[in-house]
Amino acid sequence: MNFIRIIDKSLAGALIFAMFSILITVIWQVISRYVLKDPASVTEELSRFILIWIGILGAAYAYRQNAHLGFNLIVERQRYQVRRLLLTFVELMVIFFCLAVMLFGGSELVLLTLELEQISAALGIKMGVIYSVLPLSGCLIVLYAITNIITLWRTNDTGAD
Amino acid sequence: MEMTGIILVVTFFVLLLLNVPISISIGIATLLAMVMSMDFTPAVTTIAQRMAGGLNSFALLAIPFFVLSGLIMGRGGIAKRLIECAMALIGALPGGLALVNVVSCMLFGAISGSAVATTSAIGSFMLPEMKKAGYDTNFSAAVTAAASTTGMLIPPSNILIVYAIASGGVSIAALFMAGYVPGIMVGLALMLVCFVYAKMKGFPLSARLPLSVVVSKTVAALPSLFLIFLVIGGIVGGIFTATEAGAIAVVYALLLAVAVYKEVSASALPEIFLKAAETTAIVMLLIAASTAMSWLLSFDGIPQALSSALLSLSDNPLLILLLINLLLIVVGAFLDMTPAVLIFTPIFLPVALELGMSELQFGIMLVLNLSIGLCSPPVGAVLFITCAIAKTKLENIIRPLIPLYIAMFVVLMLVTYVPWISEALPSALGF
Repeated sequence: MNFIRIIDKSLAGALIFAMFSILITVIWQVISRYVLKDPASVTEELSRFILIWIGILGAAYAYRQNAHLGFNLIVERQRYQVRRLLLTFVELMVIFFCLAVMLFGGSELVLLTLELEQISAALGIKMGVIYSVLPLSGCLIVLYAITNIITLWRTNDTGAD
Repeated sequence: MEMTGIILVVTFFVLLLLNVPISISIGIATLLAMVMSMDFTPAVTTIAQRMAGGLNSFALLAIPFFVLSGLIMGRGGIAKRLIECAMALIGALPGGLALVNVVSCMLFGAISGSAVATTSAIGSFMLPEMKKAGYDTNFSAAVTAAASTTGMLIPPSNILIVYAIASGGVSIAALFMAGYVPGIMVGLALMLVCFVYAKMKGFPLSARLPLSVVVSKTVAALPSLFLIFLVIGGIVGGIFTATEAGAIAVVYALLLAVAVYKEVSASALPEIFLKAAETTAIVMLLIAASTAMSWLLSFDGIPQALSSALLSLSDNPLLILLLINLLLIVVGAFLDMTPAVLIFTPIFLPVALELGMSELQFGIMLVLNLSIGLCSPPVGAVLFITCAIAKTKLENIIRPLIPLYIAMFVVLMLVTYVPWISEALPSALGF
């Protein structure tokens, strides 16, 4: 699973970089307004776009860390065999959502906005580029969910945990 | 329209109970309900678009900053200094450590904006202390869980920012000011319960500290407390927006933790930033999915239908408000706060306005109400974190939580029926 580990590292690196960037961008906005007396025009839009990326790309990282909020009281009370089936069902639901909405819906959105040549107001970035985080993150979550399913079924059947 | 509503609710609950993450449950429920009235491709494209659009907001940016500053303050010795200051001031009263716990949660909530950050920062320090002093672990855990929600109302507060967006443009600064009095009232009510409980159970008294220690601990906490003046003063004075205040809070907390207190090394920062990105992403995915669901609801005219159904139930505004509160308590027990605010503000706000409530007062009532859900089973984020820190089971802390719930409910009723509590401070400051 070396491939997965490279993805984990890159994802973490990208998120750290994005957090630093968003902080610098907003601090720059304050400095440019009060110290330089020349308010920057692009910082507001740039920071919003970085937030979209942190939110959607970070969702994949949070999924990898098993950090999304959920209700596990019922599932945890089942014996191992049942629990494994339920957990597999959860992963399949996540895969369904990511394929349908993030990958397919997201790609449609990207293509649509590229076709209509939607450009952001201040930076002049193609909106399709911003939205491309949806299919990207969808792919990553699907990959992680498949890894989770493999791990679930690879361990021995006694489930001594 | 009924069909959409039924599919939404049923799908959401089934997936939720089977341990599908809340944000994904909201997303799938929205998708299934949406394909009832449109084709698959436009449905998924619309959801994707609403999800991205929901995050495209400068006000939301305050959330990653307050999350980040909360993490830095928790690790950087800022939480510890606030606790020590509270300990020196009120630790010797009956139930002193429980009171210190509540006050520390209020102070930390006042600089971090998040109940979860507060629970872990204060709980991981106070729970072992209280155990050492002979307090019942389950009681201590219950107090931490309930008290950490005061930070939802005491500004800065991430959830009030979410409400400002959901309500379509209530001033964040006015909301922040509106939260002070109710937040402090909840804190005082919880402290009263702790005081009485400690007297009844005869919890051990801590020794009174000499005046010189009290003074030195207070002085040590001053740089941390200054953050409150910086953030709130800046927002209320119109010097910077809530988002910019968040970024400034991060820089100030970094300076304090890395350069002054030297409790965080620069090499630990990437890991802290990553943790902040993770927490932010959890909230953002909830916001993204809820925005899509909220769009679908209004597309099908459900908020208007529910609002008029509610208003037709009774002519008595007091009764309708009570009903709204009871509904919200049930909602809060199952749904995380962020989606609850995004989904139910469009439904209940028009009713509240119709009954003569202001947007400010409704926001405070909504957040206070959902705070009760945040520390109640089955889906209470704060409750699970406290149990993990206290190494106790959820069912054990329900009993000691009951008097604390009652205290919170009493304040909720006061906030619901006395507009002055929410509105006096913002109107005195000219909002």
